[in-house]
Amino acid sequence: MIRRLGSTVLAALFLIVLLLDATLAHAEAERTTERLQLWHNMIYSHREVLTELTQRFERENPGLQVDVIYRETEELRSSYQSAVMGGSGPDLLYGPSDQVGPMATMGIIAPLEDLLPHEFKSAIDPLALVQYQDHLYMVGDKVGNYLMLIYNKQLLPRPPRTTDELIQIGKKQTVDLNGDGRPDRYGLVFNFTEPFFFVPWIKGFGESFFTADGKPNLNTPATIAAFQFIKDLRDRDHIIPAECDYEMANALFKQGRAAMIINGDWSWGDYKKAGIDFGVARLPMVSSTGRWPAPLVGATGYSLNPNLSSHRQALALRLLTFLNSEEAQLAFVNAVGSLPSRLSLRTNRAVTENSWLMNSAELMAVGEPMPVVPEIRAVWDSLRGEYQSVLGGNSTAEAAAARAQRKSLKQIDLMNERLEKDSSIYAMWLLFMGLALWLFFKSWQGLRDILNAQAGSLRFPLTLAAPGIIGILLVVLYPFGFNLVLSFSNFSLNTFRDWSLIGFHHYWDVLTDSAFYTVLLKTLIWTFTNVFLHVVLGVALALVINQTLPAKPLWRTLLIIPWAVPQYITALTWRSLFNREYGPINQFLTHYLHLPALDWLSDPLLTFSACLITNVWLGFPFMMVIALGGLQAIPEELHEAARVDGAGALTRFRMITLPLLMPVIKPAAVLGCIWTVNSLGVVWLVSNGGEPADQTHILVSYIYKSAFNLYRYGSASALSMITFLILLGLGFVLMRKESEVVR
Amino acid sequence: MKAKHLRVMFSLLILTLAAIVSVFPVFYILAMASHGESAFTMDVGLKAFTSADLHNFRQLFLRTDFLIWLRNSVLISTVVALVGVAMASMSGYALARFQFPGRSWILRSILTTQMFPASMLMLPFFIVLTKLHLINSFVGLFIIYSSTALPFCIWQMKGYFETLPRDLEEAARMDGLTSWSLFIKVILPLSLPALAITGLFSFMTSWGEYMIAAIVLQDPQLYTLPLGLKSFQASLATDWGLYAAASLIVSAPVVVLFLALSRFLVSGLTVGSVKG
Repeated sequence: MIRRLGSTVLAALFLIVLLLDATLAHAEAERTTERLQLWHNMIYSHREVLTELTQRFERENPGLQVDVIYRETEELRSSYQSAVMGGSGPDLLYGPSDQVGPMATMGIIAPLEDLLPHEFKSAIDPLALVQYQDHLYMVGDKVGNYLMLIYNKQLLPRPPRTTDELIQIGKKQTVDLNGDGRPDRYGLVFNFTEPFFFVPWIKGFGESFFTADGKPNLNTPATIAAFQFIKDLRDRDHIIPAECDYEMANALFKQGRAAMIINGDWSWGDYKKAGIDFGVARLPMVSSTGRWPAPLVGATGYSLNPNLSSHRQALALRLLTFLNSEEAQLAFVNAVGSLPSRLSLRTNRAVTENSWLMNSAELMAVGEPMPVVPEIRAVWDSLRGEYQSVLGGNSTAEAAAARAQRKSLKQIDLMNERLEKDSSIYAMWLLFMGLALWLFFKSWQGLRDILNAQAGSLRFPLTLAAPGIIGILLVVLYPFGFNLVLSFSNFSLNTFRDWSLIGFHHYWDVLTDSAFYTVLLKTLIWTFTNVFLHVVLGVALALVINQTLPAKPLWRTLLIIPWAVPQYITALTWRSLFNREYGPINQFLTHYLHLPALDWLSDPLLTFSACLITNVWLGFPFMMVIALGGLQAIPEELHEAARVDGAGALTRFRMITLPLLMPVIKPAAVLGCIWTVNSLGVVWLVSNGGEPADQTHILVSYIYKSAFNLYRYGSASALSMITFLILLGLGFVLMRKESEVVR
Repeated sequence: MKAKHLRVMFSLLILTLAAIVSVFPVFYILAMASHGESAFTMDVGLKAFTSADLHNFRQLFLRTDFLIWLRNSVLISTVVALVGVAMASMSGYALARFQFPGRSWILRSILTTQMFPASMLMLPFFIVLTKLHLINSFVGLFIIYSSTALPFCIWQMKGYFETLPRDLEEAARMDGLTSWSLFIKVILPLSLPALAITGLFSFMTSWGEYMIAAIVLQDPQLYTLPLGLKSFQASLATDWGLYAAASLIVSAPVVVLFLALSRFLVSGLTVGSVKG
């Protein structure tokens, strides 16, 4: 045993040496070359071109190395924010144009107009020179990112020109081939619950959803008509599936099981690779108004980190210029067929011989530029919720349009508020002083106790305990203090660089908001239901396994699987299991139990249940193993004795098993409660960030959303402090109860 | 006799149902690895599994940096597991067997650290790591991972030590063993099941962790598996086939470890009570 331990330690040492070696080698390389960093959100096929280009750049600029790092769009945004705030971050950032407004407001991207020569700027499509408040913040290399109607030429020789035609063709193309009462091919598929895919229609019904001066314009007859239009496509004309997210729409179209799809220019390469013979057309003109729906046209491009020294800035600009050169843009046109921002390339054969690109001028003519102001975020957010409640049948179109407008105005106010300190700041200082005094007193007391006790007898346990405890405190204490300070500050979009302490404002705000109590109630229900089911299922299965059964280890192993597979993988899998049309769960319900299919992912209560089911599945093995351990510790003689006394199975369970199991289960259940309250991942992944209509949030996901969606860090910190205090209270109640049982 | 037979049959039926439920999602991932996103729209049944296709697995090993990510993940998780076991067994033993000032306070604050919403720790972690120049280094990850897994590990080790009879230590002390050699030569060897489980737990924490790794590691050469896996995901352009294939390979070592350690799992997993 000791020898084995020794060899483990040796192996560990070996590993550490290896690691140091690697780190040193890394440092060596750093000294000889200068490394530029570029963060981007390019999809896989685009990434290959980018790598090729940066390698060419490195060859042309000896001594320079470019590190290219991919992040998914939302994450790119949040990790870039954190990085620049921490005083670092990449030299160049590549992303969609709509991130320009928020980032410029925060002061985390640099104005470019004075850094780039006039000849360079004038060679580029103005659509790709993204400005905010009269400063240039992004140089786009691609223009587009807009929606259109893509149709399968094999099924459809000619695309519909109007919505009436769309419905007529759609009906003809929605067919049930095998007669099981379910369409095997749909006329039209698209990710229709997402506002980005919905807003073009508002313009088709006569009005913009956003005014030129950056105000939402949602409470209009056009919005109401557009709500109704999509709802009718689904419920009256039945030409789109009842539930359809992006992945499903894409999969159906690629398999030839949908005649038309609404999707963007980024998907062309994918369809080409899948061997689909497709054509592109404008979104069909709205028949009742005679107007075209207006897809949002954006750009993607490069922005500059403002924290750079002038030397690094020059290098970064050199890279930016190279990546926007004719040669670089041409490489993208050839490989992925994107529309280049350099005007000189628009007449290049690579563009003119690409039939889709040639069509794009006609398609984009009816488009509107993608708004870049930060306020658009609030509009997407309010619109998403209300739109989804119309689709879910929980609201009339009229009421939803009015609410969406009201909500987005309110959110814009919240986002832009610049809070000043109020009188509660004195209470805050008192609190801080009290905390400091308490900490000082406690540690002084502890120190005195240690000094007073016989030093010899305490040295051993203290030395043993110290490394672990100090490690925990170090890692947790700073973030905790940081959060405490932030929760009293006005840290938000407008004060990103110059925030200050303001007092208890956010605490009052949270505690007087009725939404908070709704979410709190949901969190409590979520936690107790989960832990209750974990314990019941875990104990029940442990009891079953603990008998004399064949192949005991096999059963145990099979039942542990949900615990062993990483959560972020299984949570996503469960989302597809719950799919309305094709998810195995609904298929089981309809085929074998002859029940109606359930809207697992679009009905609030059912979505909540779906999250619950997923989490119960994830958590029961832990309790089962704990219970198994507890069961095996119960001496068999006790059962024998009881059996001799004539006690039945139920009595024995109640009088022997349960009381002896409780001390083992209780602490695990307390821990389970704490973990369940904080289980962000499951809720976020299964409900896709609180959908439908933000109805499925628990406290942690609610916090996450307000921090990263609306840039309200101060408020989110206060919310997380409150959550922490609630848990603390709950923990103490539970622990007291437990110690009563255990003594 | 007949009643017992019936009971066994009934138990096996329940277990079969439970096993199907617990394994099914994994089969679904397998279908996705073979068929990519078309698995989303497939009818259930064996159809999805009959034409297994290894294309995505080949792609994974030949065309991506999967092996580099694997090496990084193994390295990080192993070190974290070893550090975690060492620190947790020491602290756990001290808390289980000795009375010292602040003991119950420490026990409670260890539990308290689990109560803070993890999503809010990201920004402060990032800032402090930047200041310490630990961005893009495994050392930063070691520190954070070891300490985030520690609270549970300490509790778990403490719970186990409490189940060991005290007579043992008294007997060893009679034989003249010092506190340290008692701990290392008597207690640790007896605690093998708990040590294994604690190690497994720390290993799993770092093996599957994504959010912290994403802020600490920015050099693709240093990526761990979850980070690499995430790079197959893009808004509106996820490569589901690759993602699923990689998921399966990522899950495999953890499942194997579980299997290897499953005989320890039942005896070694004990969460101590608060009062103790």
